Amino acid sequence: MSFFLPKLSCKKDIDDAIKTVAEKVLVLRFGRDADSVCLQLDEILSKTAHDLSNMASVYLVDVETAPLYTRYFDISFIPSTVFFFNGQHMKVDYGSPDHTKFVGSFKTKQDFMDLIEVIYRGAMRGKLIVRSPIDPRNVPKYELLYHDI
Amino acid sequence: MGAFYCSICGKTDFSGKGHIHGKSHQSKLKVILVKFMDKVKEARRTIKNPQVEKYSPHHDVKFWCYCCALEVQKHVTDSNITVLYGGLLEHMSTPEHRKNTHKFCWDNKADLKLRDKFITTEEETERFKSEVSKALEQFEEKEDVFIKQQAAVIRSQEQHRLEVLQSLSEPDPELLQPAELDHYSNKPTARSSHSRSYEMEAQPGPSHEDHEASHCHRSEPGFGLTFIGYQNSSSCGNVHTGAVPPWLLEEPDEGPQEMGPSIQEFLKHKEQEKLKKLPPNRVGANFDHSSHTDANWLPSFGRVWNSGRRWQSRNQFREEEAKTRGKRKWKDDGKATKKQKGLSNGEL
Repeated sequence: MSFFLPKLSCKKDIDDAIKTVAEKVLVLRFGRDADSVCLQLDEILSKTAHDLSNMASVYLVDVETAPLYTRYFDISFIPSTVFFFNGQHMKVDYGSPDHTKFVGSFKTKQDFMDLIEVIYRGAMRGKLIVRSPIDPRNVPKYELLYHDI
Repeated sequence: MGAFYCSICGKTDFSGKGHIHGKSHQSKLKVILVKFMDKVKEARRTIKNPQVEKYSPHHDVKFWCYCCALEVQKHVTDSNITVLYGGLLEHMSTPEHRKNTHKFCWDNKADLKLRDKFITTEEETERFKSEVSKALEQFEEKEDVFIKQQAAVIRSQEQHRLEVLQSLSEPDPELLQPAELDHYSNKPTARSSHSRSYEMEAQPGPSHEDHEASHCHRSEPGFGLTFIGYQNSSSCGNVHTGAVPPWLLEEPDEGPQEMGPSIQEFLKHKEQEKLKKLPPNRVGANFDHSSHTDANWLPSFGRVWNSGRRWQSRNQFREEEAKTRGKRKWKDDGKATKKQKGLSNGEL
């Protein structure tokens, strides 16, 4: 049984989500509902959202509806997942070139849950950047291109 | 021989008087004599210089005379004054005591020199008595002087009080009369108490202040207090009439009110309690979740191609937006874009 995750469709909604989620990790998935990798990711997110409800809140954002944030967060590949805590952006070192977001889907639900737990603990200790517990082999690879090139 | 109880050893002896020469008896005897000697020495010192003191309970002690086997009063007292060691000396001058002392020393083979010490001769007694009378006279003189001083103090206090009363601007005969009665009743009691005991030096001091305080509730500027009027509480009553105290009276403008927090406040309080339990150095602990932000607010985000502080990311983004706006406008040739608002100064 999959729970439907809430969707945010405009900048104001995203702003509200960032400001109101308190003492929990805010997970913003940027992507498209029809994209295959997004669907995979969405399934993982929806299946784990309930178990992680004390630590995290998950929202889905369609990149077409929020171009400003798509630019602000430098989202070049979808799906991209951005993490916030109490209005502060949380960076994670996955072993990939971009620490500001998680690009792609997770291999297993456990990977995602471990990641959320690590982010939550780091945030509680006051750390703005944490190291991902996911095996780097399970992290999708991509090429990070500078946008002027 | 027969059974014989020796009072010094505290033992019944069957060997008759022979044990007196034994070691234990002699050592016990020595101890007794030494103790007795100390007391006698003290007493002898006072023959030449008798001390007279005010009566105090510990002057009623008795001492045990070993020779006569009786208890004798140590000091002479007539419940007002005592002559120290008077009793002891008197006893030692009596002829019975002399006989007993001789017998005692003979029986127990004590030293003859000591025996003389334990008896006071008649000359010594005479001398002692004359000295005592002199000392008594001196003592009484001193006491008289002291009493006179106390009387002078009391008189001056009275004078002072009368002056205070007279200097009040508002004549109040009701006050004066009970005040004077108080004065007169206090004087004789003070004098009698003085004659009884001389240890009440502490009392005149504080009683003086007490009286001052009680009579100064009426005041004048000369004493540093402000007069605020005679309070008439006959309409509302006071504690003596059993009236309801003001803090229990119902307020006229406040109706029945609910006490304590409302449900909302209580829930909020619960939330705050939970927040307090979180670590204080967590990320965004001081983030104001309910702040109103305008349309071009951007969250704190460290961008990919910006390796400076996070607000620099924001500024960089705004500049980029401004540039792309400008380019687009240039391209669209004057078409107004509704996103001009992005050209703010970038400050939140």
